Amino acid sequence: MDQTFIEGTVAAIEAWHGISLPNDRALAALSDLQAALAEFAMIRDGLAFEDEPASFEAALAATKEPG
Amino acid sequence: MPISEYPTLTAAADAFAAGEVSAVALTEACLARIAAHDAALNSVIRLDAELARERAASLDAARSRGEALGPLAGVPMMHKDMYYREGRVSTCGSQIRKNFVAPITATALSRLDEAGAIDCGTLNMAEFAQNATGHNAHFGDCRNPWNTDYCTGGSSSGSGAAVAAGFVYAALGSDTGGSIRLPATMCGITGLKPTQTRVPRTGVMPLSFSFDNVGPLVRSAKDAARLLKVIAGRDELDPTSAREPVPDYEAALTGDLRGSRIAVIETYFLEDADAPVMAAFEAALEVLRGRGAEVTRIALPMMRAINACTAMISRVESATIHANWMRDRPQDYATHLSARIYAGYGVPGPTYVAALSMRGPLLRAFVAEALSAYDLVVTPTLRTRVPTRAETDADADMANWGRMMAASANTRPFNYLGLPTVSVPCGFDDRGLPVGLQLAGRPFAEARILAAADAFQRDTEWHMRAPNLA
Repeated sequence: MDQTFIEGTVAAIEAWHGISLPNDRALAALSDLQAALAEFAMIRDGLAFEDEPASFEAALAATKEPG
Repeated sequence: MPISEYPTLTAAADAFAAGEVSAVALTEACLARIAAHDAALNSVIRLDAELARERAASLDAARSRGEALGPLAGVPMMHKDMYYREGRVSTCGSQIRKNFVAPITATALSRLDEAGAIDCGTLNMAEFAQNATGHNAHFGDCRNPWNTDYCTGGSSSGSGAAVAAGFVYAALGSDTGGSIRLPATMCGITGLKPTQTRVPRTGVMPLSFSFDNVGPLVRSAKDAARLLKVIAGRDELDPTSAREPVPDYEAALTGDLRGSRIAVIETYFLEDADAPVMAAFEAALEVLRGRGAEVTRIALPMMRAINACTAMISRVESATIHANWMRDRPQDYATHLSARIYAGYGVPGPTYVAALSMRGPLLRAFVAEALSAYDLVVTPTLRTRVPTRAETDADADMANWGRMMAASANTRPFNYLGLPTVSVPCGFDDRGLPVGLQLAGRPFAEARILAAADAFQRDTEWHMRAPNLA
């Protein structure tokens, strides 16, 4: 568990959202989050950012089964 | 089964339509089973027995008058306690909403009403639909009818248990990361997560705007086809609902898979799968081949990106919905749930938007690589054997946290992709718990995935097995 990340994130959540650490399990959840963010950092450079996030609905229509 | 001669939703509905059985008889059979066995399973939150009896009697009277009735007429159902019915309490499996009186009726419930279904009450669920195992600290865990020490799967825990136990013929669940397919798998029944936007979400408790889906848990693919036809389609009250026409899904169930091309995605979905799960999965592939399908194994390098993006979105959207309660009354959540929600506030805004913005491109890439040369992809629904409630209880022991969170590994990517996905039973493990086969297709290809599931069920009887409740 990276204490710097944990302590920084707890402080940021308190400052930005007014929400306090609810219990010790939340530390594990933050540790999971740190791993998920690290995984995201590994792939983000390979992603081509689209200007319009709502393109998902267009993709659903574009890729539907023909006929 | 509520009545052994009518073991499925379609059998019961057809028998009612033909005048072979009354709605009162079907309803009384269901109520009797609930009375006899729900103390052991804890699947019911609110039983509306008298309302159900009145409704059944009115349907019998309408039939005797020769009135035209809907395709689900006479069929008793109960639904996850997050489908709002105006004027009645919808707890969402929580302490926080224990007395929440719904201001509107869910469109899905209204459509089932119009089709003649009988609503017998509400079912247990994971608190705010937020775990994959079915644990609930406020109403008590719902218990698996095959073995009460084991998880039902979640979050639609009561829906899975009640249909598997034969308390009702169908139950609506919701699926944001696997919450229909996991209870279907763990309880040995059929569960359908439709294409994102296929079924309107009006009057349904939100969890994640991007990933929430309404769908049925039933005994067979044929049951799912009939019920989906009723609840699918545009609703002007839900601007996110699709305008795609709703086909006759049952008409597509021919049993013929000749010429079908099915891909097994080996990347990610089979990693560290338990041996009994893989044995049932491989046997299921043989059944599909026997029906004429060509089965090919493929690798998909984009699974890493899909999972990385998936992990960001539901965290943030759930955290946003729960922000006021997390500020004002965090102690009213189960320990594991407030912890889970809390982490969502730590996701940077640009990361969330980037993950959301990649959804369209990754869907296109997935379809290009997996669903252009192939009609369907298949995976085990759950990689492990059904876990026990004790070994996944994260409130009781921190060491269980990882196991609780891992249960949805094979289901949640399809929520990010928005693809229609069905889970059907494909065997039992060495501890006597069910194993599930997951089939997914292109957007709005519900007819195709249900046709494959139905073909599979014509050659197997796993979905018709019933737990011994005695």
